[in-house]
Amino acid sequence: MTVRIHLHPDLCHLADGNEIVETSGDSVGDCIRQLIARCPALEEFIFYKDGQLQTFIEIYLNRKAAYPDELGRKVKDGDEIHLILTIAGG
Amino acid sequence: MLTPAELERYDRQLLIRGMGQAGQERLKRARIAIAGAGGLGSAVAFYLAAAGIGTIGLIDHDEVRLTNLNRQILHWTGDVGRKKGVSAAEKLANLNPWTEVIVIDRRITAENAPDLLSGYDGVVDALDNLETRFFLNKAALDHGIPLFHGAVRAFEGRVMTVIPGRTACLRCVYRGARPEEKAPVIGVAPAMIGSLQATEVIKCIAGIGKLATGRLVVYSGLDMSFTELSVNRDPHCPHCASCDGRGEP
Repeated sequence: MTVRIHLHPDLCHLADGNEIVETSGDSVGDCIRQLIARCPALEEFIFYKDGQLQTFIEIYLNRKAAYPDELGRKVKDGDEIHLILTIAGG
Repeated sequence: MLTPAELERYDRQLLIRGMGQAGQERLKRARIAIAGAGGLGSAVAFYLAAAGIGTIGLIDHDEVRLTNLNRQILHWTGDVGRKKGVSAAEKLANLNPWTEVIVIDRRITAENAPDLLSGYDGVVDALDNLETRFFLNKAALDHGIPLFHGAVRAFEGRVMTVIPGRTACLRCVYRGARPEEKAPVIGVAPAMIGSLQATEVIKCIAGIGKLATGRLVVYSGLDMSFTELSVNRDPHCPHCASCDGRGEP
């Protein structure tokens, strides 16, 4: 099974320049952990040291907000995850 | 009632199906607050004045800096050091003397936000930080008026419209912003997003089209793409969970 993670433009440089990374797993959390195993520099952008999601990370599963319990959401083959950073400029 | 000069000025948009004189008169009667007269606020205010919004309340306490001029198109080189509200109001008065611009030289806080929005039919979020956006969000919900959200960074941006009690609010969607001293941005990003926010205001007031509610419209200038992300009301939202839906457009 394949779950595609779309990375926010500001994260791509931490994933060898890739905008999309293919992963697998049972949940959004599984897929993100696999992503981090392949691109360790992403970890500090996505998680606090205690393992909680950074508050400025938004996760969408199949283009729908995954909040709350984003990491526990079940995924299936063909699903797409968007990892977005909150932006605040005006 | 539109004057002959107004009928001539707005001739091309009166032709739009669903707008007509009735829609234009609604724009003329509308009172819209714009929070921020920077990159987003410049574009929004420019197009709302051009479209004939009757009253614009421009809330900003900052002064124009040279570093603003790559994106804040209502402020020009000679305006450096002047108050942004005054600088913007001057340009808008030249663009459309039929639009009344009220300059509100105040920093928005949790305490004063409800008063600042009193008497307005809607508020445009053209701010540059999430904390103040939350003050504005809560005040708009309490007043039951639509909030037209926009945000930019570098070449990207996003837009969402909040109808109190009916659609997801900013607090349902956002939990925090990345700490950043100086966010990168190029002028075409707020130009694009501000134009989309103004489009939402015009549609909402005129009563036409489909608003960007319940979805974040995410724009990427680098990819030249738009992505729609669906967002829901959070039943435990500290801002809108108890909102009673007074804000129907």
